[in-house]
Amino acid sequence: MRKALLIVSLAACAIGAPIASAQNAPTASRQSFDQLLQAAEKASGENRDDEAIRLYRRVVALQPESEQGLWFLGTLLYEKEQYPEARDVLRQFMTLRPDAGPGWAMLGLSEFETRDYRRALDHLQRAMAQGMGDRKELIQSVFVHVAVLLTRFERYDDSLDMLLRMLDSNAQQQDLIAPAGLAGLRLPLLPAEIPPDRRELVDMAGRAVLALQTQHREEAETAFKRLVAAYPNEPGVHFLYGAYLVELQPNEALPELERELEISPTHVLARIRLAEALINRRDFDRALAVAQQAIKLEPKRASAHMMAGEALLGKGQSADGIKELEIARASDPAVNRTHWDLERAYTAAGRKEDADREKQEIEKLSNRNPQSLPGNAGDNPHD
Amino acid sequence: MRSLLPTLLLSFTLTVPALSLAASAPPAAPPFEAIAAQAEAARAQDRVADAIRLYRAGTQLRSAWSDGWWYLGSLLYDQDRFSEADAAFQHLLSSPAHRSPAYAFLGLCEYGTGNYNDALTHFRAWAGAGWTGSPELRDVAVFHFALLLTRDGRFVESLYLLASAAPRLGDLPELSEAMGLASLHMRYLPENFPPEEREPIWLAGKAALYAAQTDQQFDRADEFAARLESRYGAKPGVHSFRATLYGFELKKAEAESEYRAELKISPNDVSSMVALALIDLEKGELSEADGLARRALDADSKDAEAHHVLGRELLAKGDLNASLSELETAKQLAPGNPTVRSHLAMVLSKLGRTQEAKAESAAFVVLKNKEDVMASVEEKLGEKTPEKAH
Repeated sequence: MRKALLIVSLAACAIGAPIASAQNAPTASRQSFDQLLQAAEKASGENRDDEAIRLYRRVVALQPESEQGLWFLGTLLYEKEQYPEARDVLRQFMTLRPDAGPGWAMLGLSEFETRDYRRALDHLQRAMAQGMGDRKELIQSVFVHVAVLLTRFERYDDSLDMLLRMLDSNAQQQDLIAPAGLAGLRLPLLPAEIPPDRRELVDMAGRAVLALQTQHREEAETAFKRLVAAYPNEPGVHFLYGAYLVELQPNEALPELERELEISPTHVLARIRLAEALINRRDFDRALAVAQQAIKLEPKRASAHMMAGEALLGKGQSADGIKELEIARASDPAVNRTHWDLERAYTAAGRKEDADREKQEIEKLSNRNPQSLPGNAGDNPHD
Repeated sequence: MRSLLPTLLLSFTLTVPALSLAASAPPAAPPFEAIAAQAEAARAQDRVADAIRLYRAGTQLRSAWSDGWWYLGSLLYDQDRFSEADAAFQHLLSSPAHRSPAYAFLGLCEYGTGNYNDALTHFRAWAGAGWTGSPELRDVAVFHFALLLTRDGRFVESLYLLASAAPRLGDLPELSEAMGLASLHMRYLPENFPPEEREPIWLAGKAALYAAQTDQQFDRADEFAARLESRYGAKPGVHSFRATLYGFELKKAEAESEYRAELKISPNDVSSMVALALIDLEKGELSEADGLARRALDADSKDAEAHHVLGRELLAKGDLNASLSELETAKQLAPGNPTVRSHLAMVLSKLGRTQEAKAESAAFVVLKNKEDVMASVEEKLGEKTPEKAH
């Protein structure tokens, strides 16, 4: 796996053949540099990695800004699992080539191995933003690492989004079970950090989440039921199942979300989903009370204000409802559902200009993300 | 979302007052001046590699160019090239204008290279010099300082620093992890704790972080603490952490019960013995308090709080000379603790040593008033002036 990853990544990072810093060197030292570089390349090509590393070290000692030297040295060190040194060399390389997506990828992967997770996430996301060519194995590796790191930084919904994208690109589902289970249960652990006695729980949750994401509804339903039966008192389990049920079977979602709140009394998202389920049942009084509890726990959470706004509108308290929705919009302007709610509320209140403005926002958001639907509650707690 | 990465420092490094070349460079040195101007231009245009190369060349030409070292160090630091940045910042220790923030950067660089003991020394020097720097630098440096204090077993100091930052930084995963390590008295860094410990560290950290918020979110703290206890109740440190949390919530009976549960798991846990001794002392159960304090001192004769509580118990019993001896020891071990001074003043007063009692009372007032100030004891007591900020 590692060797293949290295080979593709080497090819992915286009290094210009003439090396700027070496070009200006005096002729004798240039010759010596070229000879060393050739010898290093030969050793690397013949899989004499230790010798290649030794030679590339000399290349870099001679020309500290040799992009080629730094890149091959860094990736070979990564290959040999000498992660701290690989990281340091790749950091030097990235100063010279901040445009190299595969470079950020290799640096992020090295930082992941040295457990510098915040930097790893930042750099792997930078690799994704800049692109890594068509190197599927490297891209796959970066995506998996980003997904698990997002979960570890408690950005569970972003992690699930990432996993969904990977499913769309036919990634190996087996590799995604534990990341999906952790994100679904909102457990900020890496797969390697799952305690042995939690592996089955995470595995079951992961399979349920993946079945749901791949539209295998029956399989998902069975998996969720098994999960709830096996772990009826585990935090996060009833929320996961309840959130799944909210749109499909709101009546059955209610007891699951209520049970979650018995287990996890300060679970903000369970309250928000419960409020949503109650709104779906047109039980606006209770929905409002639950949404207000969520606001009390997390006053800045946009989706809590959105639910309160929807409940107030449902009760006919239009002015108060609009106020809550406007707070939601200010907290997170990227949530399409808030704009839909406001557009309808402004229209009903005869505020045509405001309604038109919301319509424009909806169009803008839809153009940016064609998948944005009014049902997206935007529950990401950390973005 | 905020993070605690050095990129936060970019604004700081780029907003340092403009290069004072005219003042720092001798009048005629064209190559140096040309390089310095090019370096500044490269930096301004965000041509990082060029700027590093040029500042390096400039500082080689003129090793007294402190602004050059400053920018070189800052640029390398922003690239996470810590060992090179460290070498540049070392040149600033003789520059009064840069010394204090350089201590913080040296600490951060040495943390980045795994040179933890030197990093801790430099963070202490930074604290001694007045914790100077931009708010971003302070957050990042205080965070890493706290991590190293945890590694050094100074859990209370570490938690004090982290809890002070918690209301400002909010629900930051790095912060909760750091608080979890300190709360469970685990002498690890985030980079090297055993992976299987991540869940208890996270649960304890979330509880500590919620309790440290300005609005003290004890309901949320309790929920995470209960999960921790339910999953890891047999693990040393879990019950004493829960007890501490109950203490903050003024739930004394629950706290006492948790401390006793901790002693069943960790019979030599000094902080639990001291806490129970205090609870017994408050209830007037002096012989129980005495026994627990002495057991704590048997386990760790250098524990300031154990001497303190024993001194208080002896004071309550009227054994003034013995009390004085214990409190003097506590003062030596924890000179910044205001309540030790207060009890010392009481004993000295009862012994008729009025002048000394007054001095201790005065120290108590000063230390108490500056309890939330990040400064050394000497600075708080006016015995030392902090260095001026950059």
